[in-house]
Order: sequence, then structure tokens, then C-alpha cells
Amino acid sequence: MMTATPVVETRGLVKRYGDQLAVAGVDLLVGPGEIYGLVGPNGAGKTTIMKILATLLAPSAGEAYVTGIPVDADPLEVRRRIGYMPDFYGVYDDLRVWEYLDFFARCYGVPANRRSTMIGELLEVVGLTEKRDGYVESLSRGMRQRLCLAHTLVHDPALLILDEPASGLDPRARVEMREILRELRSMGKTILVSSHILPELGEMCTGVAIIDRGRLLRSGSIHEIERSLRASALLRIDLLGDEAAVNAAHEWLGTDARIADVLGATSNADGAVRIEASFDGPPEAQADLLRAMVEAGHRVVGFSQATSDLEEIFLKVTGQIDEAAAA
Amino acid sequence: MTASDTAVGRPTRPSAVREFGASVVTIMVKELRSRMRGRRAFIVLTVYLAILALITYGVYVVVAPNARGITGGGFGGFGGQANASALIGQSIFTLLSIFQLILVCFIAPAFTAGQISLEREKQTLDLLISTPMRPGAIVIGKLAAALAFVVLMIVAAVPITAIVLMYGGASVDDIVRQQLVLLATALALGAIGLFFSALLKRTQAATVLTYITVLALTLGTTMLFIFWTVVVNQGEDGFGVGPPKRAPEQLMYVNPGIAMLDVVSNTEPGGFGGISNLLAQMRGNVPEFGGNVPEVGGNFGGEIGAEVECVGDVCRPADQFGNAVDDVVDASSGYWWPRISLTFVLLAGLLTLAATRLVVPVGMRWAFRRRARPAALPPPAVGVGDPGDEGAPVIQELREEADR
Repeated sequence: MMTATPVVETRGLVKRYGDQLAVAGVDLLVGPGEIYGLVGPNGAGKTTIMKILATLLAPSAGEAYVTGIPVDADPLEVRRRIGYMPDFYGVYDDLRVWEYLDFFARCYGVPANRRSTMIGELLEVVGLTEKRDGYVESLSRGMRQRLCLAHTLVHDPALLILDEPASGLDPRARVEMREILRELRSMGKTILVSSHILPELGEMCTGVAIIDRGRLLRSGSIHEIERSLRASALLRIDLLGDEAAVNAAHEWLGTDARIADVLGATSNADGAVRIEASFDGPPEAQADLLRAMVEAGHRVVGFSQATSDLEEIFLKVTGQIDEAAAA
Repeated sequence: MTASDTAVGRPTRPSAVREFGASVVTIMVKELRSRMRGRRAFIVLTVYLAILALITYGVYVVVAPNARGITGGGFGGFGGQANASALIGQSIFTLLSIFQLILVCFIAPAFTAGQISLEREKQTLDLLISTPMRPGAIVIGKLAAALAFVVLMIVAAVPITAIVLMYGGASVDDIVRQQLVLLATALALGAIGLFFSALLKRTQAATVLTYITVLALTLGTTMLFIFWTVVVNQGEDGFGVGPPKRAPEQLMYVNPGIAMLDVVSNTEPGGFGGISNLLAQMRGNVPEFGGNVPEVGGNFGGEIGAEVECVGDVCRPADQFGNAVDDVVDASSGYWWPRISLTFVLLAGLLTLAATRLVVPVGMRWAFRRRARPAALPPPAVGVGDPGDEGAPVIQELREEADR
């Protein structure tokens, strides 16, 4: 199979505002069909990176490509291939919903005979069909957010750049937004999305880049980052049996060389007792351990590797960096 | 069905010119959709026309009895009647022209001074400029949409102005000239508003600066001209020989009032009168038709009072001994308005270009001048380097700073 052109690629991307460094040499690689999350606190440089990719800012140094096209050399061509939703944006209040989408479809040169049906379908995707003839000013915040998302889709772009698409939304609207993004991904769109609300991204992203103070700290899938963060995995083993049985299992685990540390046991609501152990080894070794445990007569009802959420990972990554800086 | 399999594929792209035109129309359609919606636009237009109609009627009521008196009403002669009618027509035309010009001076900048800064304030500008429309098309579309309504007002008033054709005193040519001056003024003042709107972040600041500029172009140039002329003449001993000294007339090439006075002066009876005289003076001449007009300032009063020898419309400045001096000057109407209109069109072009540059994101300007590269080039191994952040106007950098 031919390797596909990455949809987004940056190499050593730098953006300076005066003597302040907003983006300090970021390398990103986003393949087709990915939902790629930019994670970082406010002011980390996420918006700046996205604006550079959306051709609204020129990089001070480094290169940025969208579907192989350099953003600073051919901005108009890049714009035809991206849909951009800024973090803060306004809407034209005095237009009707369909007029709003019609306007942007014209901006992108969508032929007249396709606009009407396309608008109908987009409104369906974002769930605003019944608001078609309503004025934009009558929409709720969540609806506006969805309308803005719809406007990024009028020209069927390869890449969506969504800067904090769920900011300021209530939980229900957040869930709706997430569902829409999943649907878009199933349509084959590549999505670059930023957020400082980590669980939101963790659930749907195929890859993330953790950014802080303009630097790229880690990038890759959440699992890859997690693995790179700790040598050992945290195993959660649920056991049945009385206290003696649990203690026996505890001791048995302690004798295994691959287990660095056995953490205390806690009772589950359903009567099982959970033991957590940090385990150093590949998945095969985990399977061997499970088999050995069962053969040793321990009544295992649950055996899993704890997945840490993005929040935890993020704190860890930034924590490590801070420690390194302090040292 | 999903949006992706129905929404546009990549259509064969139209030519750059057609694409540009389509973008301008897109912006205009959107702007006019919001502007012309509801009753506001129609009320504004109706009130405007009602005021013009009232002025017309008012002038008739005031001028008609006097006109009959002045032009020999006592004798009831046929010629007197005709002159009275012409005087009414001329008065109506003069007042309507000046009033319309003043309104255009107020309205045109008001419509454009918020066009871009409002987008910035409402945070819609990023959405707009991240589309593949060329910045020039966005700016021209905005200007055209704002001026469309002003043009509608100007053109809608033509039937009212045309009443003067009934009285005489002003011809169709005069009305055409008046329209040209109004349109050129609307274009230039609109472009000034648009320029400040693109330059400044806040609409309020853009509006204030726009009106200050409009004031400078109208009252400012007039006062400067007078002041300059006085200063120049003060240094003289009062016995100067040669054409009278004055401020450079080019100063007035940006004054819409002079253009309109020039158009109006054409309707003055016999082609001369108060306004013609004033305009001629500004070019350093005082036409003395048949020696009946008293010398202004006297022969020894200095340069302003130099005599002029006239043959028909062509006058020749003369010194105090009646000898003709240098350049032949045409005292008739038609000297100022074409020059001023042309200046306005050029000014509008320049300001629109400047506004276009201001709309393009900093550092991306040069990229828009380049011919688009073929799509999907493999990324070059060598760095593209710094795309010229340096050299951007300071004000842009400041704005970017503020945006963060």
C-alpha cells in the first residue's frame, strides 16, 4: 500500500510575537481519517498552531503543510481543503440559518444547483433541520456552535480544524457535539480538535499532542503516550474469597519477579476484592500471569490493565517537565 | 446519505476573474440581505426623498415671487416670464445639488466605516478571511454593497431633480454632471470609511476618523486655501506685477463642495455670477465681463484685483495696465468637477487597495500575489524559511499583539 500524504504535517513550527515565543518548534503528523487532539492549558499555543494551519497567521519559522500544500505559499488552495472553526467567533445574527450556510457555500464557490440540497443535508447532520428558516440570532449557544460546525463543512473539506468546539456548552450539548464529530469521522474526515477539557478528547481521539508553553511534550495515541510514561502497567485483579484467600493471592503475587509492587486490596460492591499490582512485561506475560494465578487456585473474576485517562497523563507529562525544569 | 457524498466534489474551477466577480457578488448579496431586510431601508429612503421634495417646494415658494419681481415682473414681458422660470429652476437645482452632496458626505462614510471593523468586533472576520475568497473581492464587495444603497438614494432623487427641466435654468447635461459628482463623492468617501474600518479595530474610532477626514477634505481644504492665500499675499508690497498669487489650486482637488459648485455655476444666468466668480478667483482670475463688474480690491489693492480681459468665455489675466499676462484661462464651468471627480476615483482605488492589504493576515500578503502552486506538492526538504514577517506595518503588529 502506498503511504498516504499526511493531512497535517508541521516541522519545527515556530511562531513569535515580538520576543515572546508562542510556538517553539512543534512537529505534528496527522494521517487521513484521524481525530487528532491538541491538548494543553490555556495559552499553550494550540490556537496559534491552528491559526497557522488555517492560513490566518504566518509561521515565524518552520514548515506547515495541509495535504502536502505549504500553508504560507498557497493559502487559497489550503483554504479550499480545510474547514476552520475558531475558538471565539461570531455569527451573522441578521441572516436566516439557510442563508448563513448559503453565504459560506457561495464563499467557497459551491455551484448554485448543489447548494440547496447540500444545506438540507448539513442541517440534518448537525440537527438543525427545523431551524432552517429561523434567524441565527434566535439560536441557542449550542445550536450556534453546531451551525458554525456546519459552515466548516459546506465545501466538503478534507480537514476540519476545530478550536475548542465544545467550550461554553452544557453537558448535553457537549455530548451532541461529540456525537457529531464521531459521525464526521465515520464520513472519512480528518479532524484536528483542541480542548483543555481532557476527558472529552480522550474518549474520541485517535491521537493527541500534548502541548505546553509552545512546546510539544508528547504525541501519539493515548496508549503510546501512556506506555512511554511508565515502564510498568497497572494491573487490576478482582478476586473472590475470604480475607485469607485474598492474603494468599497477595503473597503469591509478591513472589513473582515481574511484579514490582502490590498495592493494597479494596472491596468491591459486588463482593469481589480488587488488588492492584504494577507489572513489568508485555501483554503475553500478563496472560501467563493470569493463567498461573488460576492454576494456583485463585478465584479470579476480573483481570485488566488500568487505563489512565488523558487528564492523568497530561498532569504526569507536564509534571515531569516541571520536575526536569526544577532540577 | 451523508453530507460528504453529496456536498461538492471539486468542481472544475472557473477563471480567476469569474471567481473574483462571484466573490464580490457573494459579499454583496449577504450584505444587502441584511441591510434591505425589514422596513428600515425603505423608511430611510422615503424620508430622504420627502425632504428633497420639501426643499424643492420650499425653494419654489420663496424664489418664485422674488424671481418675477427681479426679472421684470412689473412689465409682464414675455422675456421676463422666461427668465423668472429659469431663475426658479436654477435655484431649485442649486439647492438640491448642495443638499444632496451634504447628505452623501454624511451617509456614504456612515455605511462603510463599520464594514470591516464590525466583522472584527463581532468576531466574524476570521470566518470570512479563512474562506478562499480573495481579500480584494471581500473589500470591493463590502464597498459595493455599502454604496449600493447610497447610489439608490442618489438615483432615486433624479426624478425630483428633473423638475428643474420643467422650469428651465438647468439642462439634462447639468443633471448628469451633478449625478457624476455625487457618485464620485460617494465612492471616495465610502472608500475612506472602508479604509479606516480596515485599519482600526474599533468601529467607533473608524467612524470618528472618517468624519474628521471628510471635514478636512471639505472645510479643512477651504480654510487652508484661504489662509494660505492670505499669507502668500501679505508678503507682497501691494504693487506686484503679474498674475495674482494664491494657494495651489490642487489643494481643492479633493473638495467635493467645489466640484458641486462648479456644476451648479454652469446654470448661472449667462454662465457667470456669484459662484462662477468665486471659482474663477480661486484660479487667480476675476473675470470682468464687459467692464461692468467692479474691480475687486482695486488696481492697487494687490494681486487679487488684477484685471482680466475676456472674449466670450475665454479670459486672459491682465495686469493693472490692461496688458494681458501669461496663461489663458477658461472662466466657464467645467474646470473643477472633472478634475475633482477623477481625483476621487483615483483616491477610492488607492484606499481600496490599502484596505485589501490590511485585511490579509500579517505575513501572508506576499503569498496572495504569487501564482498558486500546483496542488499536493511533496513537501520540500529545504525550509521555506521566514515568510517575511518583517516589514509589516507597525500597526498590524500592534493589532496582532492585542489579539492575543
